[in-house]
Amino acid sequence: MTRERITAVVAVLAVVGLLRSAWFHFVSEPRNDVRRERIDPRYVPLKALLPATGEVGYVCDVPMLPWPAGFDDSPVGNRMYEQAQYALAPLVLRYDDRRAPLVVANLADPARLPEVQKRTGLVLVAEPRPGTAVLRPP
Amino acid sequence: MILLALLAIALPGAGLVAWAFPERATTGADRALRISIALALGLGAWSAAYAAGRMMGVPTPAKDVLLVALGAALLFASRARPAATERTADAAPRWLWMLFFAACAVSIAAFAEHDWRFPDGGWDAWMIWNLRARFLVRDPDLRAAFSPDLLLWAHADYPWLIPGAVAQGFVLAGRETRLVPLAIAAEFGVLAVSVASLTATRLYGSRWGLLAALAILTLPAFPILVSNQQSDIPLGVYLACAGALIVLACARDERPARMLALAGFAAGLGAWTKNEGVLYAVCLALGLLVRTRDVRGTLAFAAGAVPAGLLLLGFKIFYAPANDLARLSTAASLIAHALDPLRWGELLVYALRRVVFFQSFALFLVAEVVALTVWVRRTPGTPLGTALILAVAAFAAIYVLQPHPLRWIFRTSVDRLILQLWPATVLATLLPLARTTART
Repeated sequence: MTRERITAVVAVLAVVGLLRSAWFHFVSEPRNDVRRERIDPRYVPLKALLPATGEVGYVCDVPMLPWPAGFDDSPVGNRMYEQAQYALAPLVLRYDDRRAPLVVANLADPARLPEVQKRTGLVLVAEPRPGTAVLRPP
Repeated sequence: MILLALLAIALPGAGLVAWAFPERATTGADRALRISIALALGLGAWSAAYAAGRMMGVPTPAKDVLLVALGAALLFASRARPAATERTADAAPRWLWMLFFAACAVSIAAFAEHDWRFPDGGWDAWMIWNLRARFLVRDPDLRAAFSPDLLLWAHADYPWLIPGAVAQGFVLAGRETRLVPLAIAAEFGVLAVSVASLTATRLYGSRWGLLAALAILTLPAFPILVSNQQSDIPLGVYLACAGALIVLACARDERPARMLALAGFAAGLGAWTKNEGVLYAVCLALGLLVRTRDVRGTLAFAAGAVPAGLLLLGFKIFYAPANDLARLSTAASLIAHALDPLRWGELLVYALRRVVFFQSFALFLVAEVVALTVWVRRTPGTPLGTALILAVAAFAAIYVLQPHPLRWIFRTSVDRLILQLWPATVLATLLPLARTTART
């Protein structure tokens, strides 16, 4: 094997890699994928109603798997919890803690708020925007 | 404040590199390599010192003044070194330069496109790394960032070199602009290419440097992982820095202990970047010891890793919750998994499928396997190559023994592990080929 051959082999590998990247980023992804929304705007109105630090409870209308059970187990509920935690940090969101003085309700379907209140026995403090609410124990 | 922070990054990095290299740089490639290593180590030391300061209650400006003083002292102590002798270089053909510039253009465009599509970075960026930076900058109580009430997914036990750098960037910027984590990610992306490429250039000329750069830049997963703002590319940079310094030290007859100590320092910063960094540091020390039988050099390497090692130990003892892999494992599960041939077979199948996973790696992993089995194995073993093989073997064992579903954890982690290893792997593969073909 000469250095010229090694150079040619790496160059071919590089061209293949470049073409793959170019196809994915500039042809395939624009056609088949959407731009993600920024996480923070959804939680800005909610943040104003919560303490800046400490802990609050967290409930959701879709299930969250606290443990992985298989590759496809990153359901909507997990993403919603993680995004809420990211946006509301340094507040720690205690999943399914209904005894906390304040409980964040994060809803995939805003119409399910009464159903969540009934299931958890919590009462509404405020609903600053559809899909997010602050609840408290009765 | 910004000027003080910049000095606190630049001077310790430059001072450490000046202290470790026995001679002054005389070529552009050598200077650029030292600047790259200095930037990586300077930024890492700045973040590690911030973490130490937060844990011990030292204010950030005082920490920066101390870093500036240390860096200046190292630079002063390293003045008046002799100039390095120039090596004969294997120049690159013009068309290879053109391909390199095309690769840079496509990678930068891919980075920008991916950032536009994922404005908060990759899933792990907001779930772990930038989440931690927000905790650090928004709450003076450090314990909140590592609360056991945070769910598993936040990985509160992970070390925080990148969150520490991002948090300080937020403070300096005066607001939590997304440009801070993005700029840090871009810097580490550039360093991942430059450290490996310039090491090859310094040793064997620009032809080999460009080949190394191309092998990293044109890996399809590379610009995506850089844009994702996760800690995997920075860990890859520290592993590459450690590997490059070991390679450069072993290329000299006297194998300078200071260079090996700096390699240990880089490996230590890798351990402060992500948990896997501890494994890489141990593998590098073992590779060095096995291939050189140089106990003094290995001790120098280990001594270099002590500062970050102590920081990591302090964090794990006093702040971090238990790691999920350890917490969920039992003696019975470890034995059952280790003795389960189906689990080993399952891992082998997944690994083979990943080698031909075109959308992330194009044909590079296939080429790497061929190069290792056909050519590189005939060349004498090197400390870096041995360390990387040990790391891969250790990962295989960890995958089999860990408590989560194998398919899930493999598919969600293996690409990031490959990217961590890739710059050092390129170096470990190309350098023996350069050495053996130098005469052909």
